[in-house]
Amino acid sequence: MVEAFAVASGKGGTGKTTTTLALGMALARRYDVTVVDADTGMANLLFHAGLADAPVTLQDLLAPDARGPDGAAIDVHDACYDRHGMRVVPCGTSLAGFERSDPARLREVVAELAADTDVLLLDSPATLASKSAVLPIVLADRVVVVTQPTIPALSDALKVQEYAASYGTGIAGVLFNKVRGDLGSVGAQAERYFEGPTLGSVPDSDAARAARDAGEPLLSHAPDSAAAEAYRAAAAGIEPEPKAVGDVADRFRSAVVPERP
Amino acid sequence: MTGERTPPAAAPVRERLPRGDLVGARVATEFAAPLAASLDDELTGYLRLEPGDALLGVGGSEAVLTLDSGVPVLAYDAGGDADGPAALAALAGTTPVRVERYRLSADALDPLHDPAADGSEPFRVAPGAPARELAGDDDLAERTREAAPAERRAAGGDHDALAAFLADEERVEAVRREARAEARARADEWGLGDHLAE
Repeated sequence: MVEAFAVASGKGGTGKTTTTLALGMALARRYDVTVVDADTGMANLLFHAGLADAPVTLQDLLAPDARGPDGAAIDVHDACYDRHGMRVVPCGTSLAGFERSDPARLREVVAELAADTDVLLLDSPATLASKSAVLPIVLADRVVVVTQPTIPALSDALKVQEYAASYGTGIAGVLFNKVRGDLGSVGAQAERYFEGPTLGSVPDSDAARAARDAGEPLLSHAPDSAAAEAYRAAAAGIEPEPKAVGDVADRFRSAVVPERP
Repeated sequence: MTGERTPPAAAPVRERLPRGDLVGARVATEFAAPLAASLDDELTGYLRLEPGDALLGVGGSEAVLTLDSGVPVLAYDAGGDADGPAALAALAGTTPVRVERYRLSADALDPLHDPAADGSEPFRVAPGAPARELAGDDDLAERTREAAPAERRAAGGDHDALAAFLADEERVEAVRREARAEARARADEWGLGDHLAE
């Protein structure tokens, strides 16, 4: 069984990477989880996951000759790191690596990962403005929409939903992040417009910033924080739906070749 | 003119704002710049904001945002349809916007800004709300909040503008409709048309 989720917001600054790792860790208590940094243009998951020094990353897998920094041939497993109870596939940040990478190979890489996991979480680019930026949404079965309780952020979240719907991708739910005080009626009001439930409200927290600075996922760095508890509660609202492994792998393999972002 | 006689306290807030001295006017492509400039200049007075669609003569209405040392206090639209957080919700996403900056003495604004002022409550907005809801700028919102007096920082009401936005079904559906049209247009442009759902 595997279900692919894109974690997307349509805008920057919503805490999407923190959210991806937190939901991944929470879901990893029940499922075999793989987290992929699909934001190849502005990769940052490696810093959140303590993998800044990872010798091989997605960037190397996307190189046409698929060779690691030492020139040796590599495969998908070389860029997978078992961390925090999940399999993490970071993406490097070198400009040379980015320029060498062939985005067309992403679908093959993800198809291989999909064959060997229950839940695939794709940390998606913070924009909808390019073909490669929307690709995770096109490919995923459902989207977890991450937003902040503001009009601009929620407008972008609605946009993510409509893009997803246009490609036949469902909505797993909406998560309000960096929430100051009580969300009040907003969570229930939002449910009128989103095709998925409001998964929760994560308080604005110094713990999330400290975790990022420490290079640790929030649920490792501050597992008892209110934010960590809110993420665990939100993850409990996500029920992965079984898909035949072949379906997801085929979807990724048949996906169109993305252009450079 | 700051010397005009102030109408009696019982008059609606939008009729009680004295006219200030115009200190600048510009068309802004986003709300962050005029809000940041007002904060940095510690402007006491008000901004008169004329949304882009009003400039084009296709609707929208002017809004007023009062400021105390650069920190927003009251908001309303000049048409009388929306007060406080609802006025911010109506204004969100309406750039470009023409912004006129007016200066007033603190004394002239006190009768309106005083928390006990008659009828001013519905017009009040959280200090950081305009930066957050209009500009989508968390850092500016935090900077504005920190510049506000302690009692206003703790006042809450952080999500009122979003609640007003979500209560406007027609507006939200328009956002969704535009996004759907954009998604389909872009899919064709990017060669993703085959991946579109029926």
